[in-house]
Amino acid sequence: MEGCHRNGEIAPKLLDLNLMITQESRRPWFHDDENSVFNTEERKLELKLGPPGGEDEHASSIIRHFKKEPKDKSILSLAGKHFSSSPSSTKTTSHKRTAPGPVVGWPPVRSFRKNLASGSSSKLGNDSTTSNGVALKNQKCDDDAKIMEPMRQGGMFVKINMYGVPIGRKVDLSVHDSYEQLSYTVDKLFRGLLAAQRDLSSSVEDEKPITGLLDGNGEYTLTYEDNEGDKMLVGDVPWQMFVSSVKRLRVIKTSEISSALTYGNGKQEKMRR
Amino acid sequence: MTRDRSEMSEDDDDQQSQSQSPPLDLRSAAIAEPCSSSSSSFSVVDSTPNKSRNCISSGTLTSQPFPDHVLENVLENVLQFLDSRCDRNAASLVCKSWWRVEASTRSEVFIGNCYALSPSRLTQRFKRVSSLVLKGKPRFADFNLMPPDWGANFAPWVSTMAKAYPWLEKVDLKRMFVTDDDLALLAESFPGFKELILVCCEGFGTSGIAIVANKCRKLKVLDLIESEVTDDEVDWISCFPEDVTCLESLAFDCVEAPINFKALEGLVARSPCLKKLRLNRFVSLVELHRLLLGAPQLTSLGTGSFSHDEEPQSEQEPDYAAAFRACKSVVCLSGFRELMPEYLPAIYPVCANLTSLNFSYANISPDMFKPIIHNCHKLQVFWALDSICDEGLQAVAETCKELRELRIFPFDPREDSEGPVSEVGLQAISEGCRKLESILYFCQRMTNAAVIAMSENCPELTVFRLCIMGRHRPDHVTGKPMDEGFGAIVKNCKKLTRLAVSGLLTDQAFRYMGEYGKLVRTLSVAFAGDSDMALRHVLEGCPRLQKLEIRDSPFGDAALRSGMHRYYNMRFVWMSACSLTRGCCKDIARAMPNLVVEVIGSDDDDDNRDYVETLYMYRSLDGPRKDAPKFVAIL
Repeated sequence: MEGCHRNGEIAPKLLDLNLMITQESRRPWFHDDENSVFNTEERKLELKLGPPGGEDEHASSIIRHFKKEPKDKSILSLAGKHFSSSPSSTKTTSHKRTAPGPVVGWPPVRSFRKNLASGSSSKLGNDSTTSNGVALKNQKCDDDAKIMEPMRQGGMFVKINMYGVPIGRKVDLSVHDSYEQLSYTVDKLFRGLLAAQRDLSSSVEDEKPITGLLDGNGEYTLTYEDNEGDKMLVGDVPWQMFVSSVKRLRVIKTSEISSALTYGNGKQEKMRR
Repeated sequence: MTRDRSEMSEDDDDQQSQSQSPPLDLRSAAIAEPCSSSSSSFSVVDSTPNKSRNCISSGTLTSQPFPDHVLENVLENVLQFLDSRCDRNAASLVCKSWWRVEASTRSEVFIGNCYALSPSRLTQRFKRVSSLVLKGKPRFADFNLMPPDWGANFAPWVSTMAKAYPWLEKVDLKRMFVTDDDLALLAESFPGFKELILVCCEGFGTSGIAIVANKCRKLKVLDLIESEVTDDEVDWISCFPEDVTCLESLAFDCVEAPINFKALEGLVARSPCLKKLRLNRFVSLVELHRLLLGAPQLTSLGTGSFSHDEEPQSEQEPDYAAAFRACKSVVCLSGFRELMPEYLPAIYPVCANLTSLNFSYANISPDMFKPIIHNCHKLQVFWALDSICDEGLQAVAETCKELRELRIFPFDPREDSEGPVSEVGLQAISEGCRKLESILYFCQRMTNAAVIAMSENCPELTVFRLCIMGRHRPDHVTGKPMDEGFGAIVKNCKKLTRLAVSGLLTDQAFRYMGEYGKLVRTLSVAFAGDSDMALRHVLEGCPRLQKLEIRDSPFGDAALRSGMHRYYNMRFVWMSACSLTRGCCKDIARAMPNLVVEVIGSDDDDDNRDYVETLYMYRSLDGPRKDAPKFVAIL
C-alpha cells in the first residue's frame, strides 16, 4: 500500500487499487479519520467525470435505514458507492453537488444512450468532424461502474466459418472435451447449411454428414487460428493446449490445405474462403 | 397512428389492457380478499372460481362427452371474433366448455413473464397459436442492476413450440436471451413464419439473423429494436433469398456491424411491400439517398448515420432534400445516429407529414431544432435529447398541438451536470400540448408547480415518468419535497396507468399514490420515501398495481409483509438495495407457494448473509424455474 503515498505518482498497481476499494467500501465516507492522506491521494486518482479542481465533499449523512452499501466491483469507481441523503431541505439550490459517487444504473438510461456525450459531442454546431464509427458502442457496461462483462452463458465461444457457407456459427469449447466431440459439433452445425447452399431444395435425406475433418480424409478439414495469428490444423496438440490458444475456427476444403495454411501466417491478410 | 406509436415506444406493454388481476389456483392461495372480477391476463388451467357452478373439480382435462356439438361450433364461431386478451380471459372463465372453445380458438398469446408458466403448459392449453408475445427480464435489468446470465432463455420456448405449433407465424420477444441456435431452430421449424420482433434482447449475433433471413421465405417483419447483436462478421443482408421478398418492415438500427450496402440496395429493390426501414449507423447519407430514390413508398424511415465518412466530394453533392421530397408517405422518422447538423434541412420536405419523430441520438442545439419543429404540425410522438433545451421544448409546445407522447433523454446522464431542460420546458409542454398521454422526462431540476400544472393541463395522461437525475433533489425553487407535484399527478390524471417518481419524496407522496392511483399498474420508485409506511400506502392502496419496481429506498420487512394479500395478483415485485432480510423473504415464500421468491446477490455476499441485495418475486403456475444461475437463490 506504500505505493499510493508516493508523491506525484499516479500509477499504483492494480492490486493496490483493489485493496483501496475494499478498504474504502467498508469505511464510512464522512469520517475524516487518520487516513485523510489516504483520502486525498485517492481523490487525486479518482477517475471522475466532473471538472477537475476542488470537490465539494460535504459530510453528508448516509441514509439511516440502510444496512449495507451495495458492493462495487469497479476499479474505476474508487469513490465507492453510498448515498447522500438530504432529508431535511437544507439544500435548496441545485448547484451544490449532492452525490459524490456514481451509482450503478442511475440515472436509468440504457447503456447505448450513455455514450452519446463522448461520441458525438464534436458534431454540435458547424463542426463537420467525420464519424469514424467508434462513437457509439453498444456496450452493456455502464461507463461509471463496470460490473460484469456480457458473457454468453459463461462459455468459451469461438467463431467458426465454413468454406462455401456464408453463415458463420459459434462453438462453445467449454462444453467439449475432445477433438472427436468438436468434430461432431461441426458436422451438426454445418451439415444442413452446407446442403442448403448446394441445392436450395435439399431435404434432410440429401444431407451428407461432414466427416474426416481431423484426419485429412474428408472433403473438408478443420483448421484454427491461434492467439498469435497462426493458422494450424486442428488435432495436433493436446486438447487443453488447443483450447487455451484457439481464437477462431475454420473449415476449409482439404484440397486447399497447403495454400490456406501458408497464406497469411502471422498477421497477414485473412485467409480467403 | 397507434401502430407507429407502439413500435417506437419501449413500453407498448399494457396500454391496451385495462383491468388485470389474474387469479391463480385459488385452492392453495391464502388470499384475504376476493380476487377482483375483472379479466385475467392468463388464467389458471384448472381453476373454478365460481363456486356455484357444478363443475368437475378434479382438475383433470379429460373432456366429458359433450352432447351439443352444435353449441360448441357456434361458440367457436363467435369466440373467434374476440381479439382482446382481456375479453378472451373473461370468456374462458364462464364455464368449462367456453374455456375449451376459447383455448382452441386463441391464436395470439401474450405472456408477460416467461417464468410465470412453463412452455408445455402453454402448448397444452392453447392448440392453435400462431402468434406469441413473450417477455423476460424485469426492466431494471436494463440498468445493470442484475447480473447477466440471469435467465429468460428463449430456448425452451422455441423447442416446445417447434413441435406444437408448426404453423407459428409471429414471435415478439422483449428482454429475452435468444441464441443463434434458437433462431436457427425457429427458422427451420416454422415454414410459414412471418414476423420476428426482438426488443431489448441479447445472446445472438448476425449469424442468427442470417439464418432467419435465409430460411424464412415468408418473412414480412424483421425488427431488431434496442437489442444487443454481436458482430459475427456475417453478411446477413446477402442471405435474404434472391427473388422478390414479402418484407414489409426491416429494422436493424441497433445492429452494431457494417452491412453490405449493395446487397441492401438490391434487397430494397426487390421488396415492393417494404414500408418500414430502419438503418443502422453504418449507412451513410449518400447511401441513404440512393435507397430513398429506390423506395419512395416507405412510411417509416430510420436514417442511419446521417453523415458521411469522407470529406464531401468536390463534385456536386446529391440533392438530399429532393430524395426526401420524393418520399411522400414517410410519417415516421428516426435515426440520425451520427448527425451532421448541416444536412438536417434535407428533411424539411417531410416534416409536415410527420406523426412520429425520433431525434434521441442527435445532439441538436435549439437553433438547429426550431426551424424543423415549426413545420411538424401533425407530430404525435416526439423523442429527443435534452440538447434542444427548454427553448426547444417551447417550440414543440407552440407547434405540436397533436402531441401524444414525449420523451426527453439526457445527452449527458450525470447527476451533477447543469441540465439544459427544467421545469420551464415541462410547463411549456403542459400548456401547449393538451392532448399529451405519455411523457418521459429526464432533467436536473424541477418544481412542484410545473408538475402540478401538467397534471391540470393534461388530463389524458396515462404514463408519467419524471426522472430528476440528482438523487433526493427537492423542488429547486421552494426547497420542498416533490410530494405535492406527484400527488397532483395521481389526483388529477384519472387515467394514469404508469408512474415513475424521483426527486426528494417523503412518505406523503406515497400516501397520495396509494389513495389516488386507482388505475396505476406500473410503479417505479428510486431513492424515495422515509419509512415502511410509504410502501405500505402503495401496497394497501393502488388496486390495479401489477408491476412494482423499487430501488434504494428505505423499505423493510414490515412493508413487504403488508402486501402479501396481493402478490398473487401482481406480475412481479422488484426491490433492490432496500432494507429486506432473508428471513422475511423466506417467510413469504413459505406462506405463498405459488410465488417464486428470488434473492439475487453479488458473488461474495458472505459478511451480510441476512441482507437481501435484490428481491425479485413473481407468481408462477409451474413452480420455481430450473435454470436459475448460482447467484440466484430461490427461497
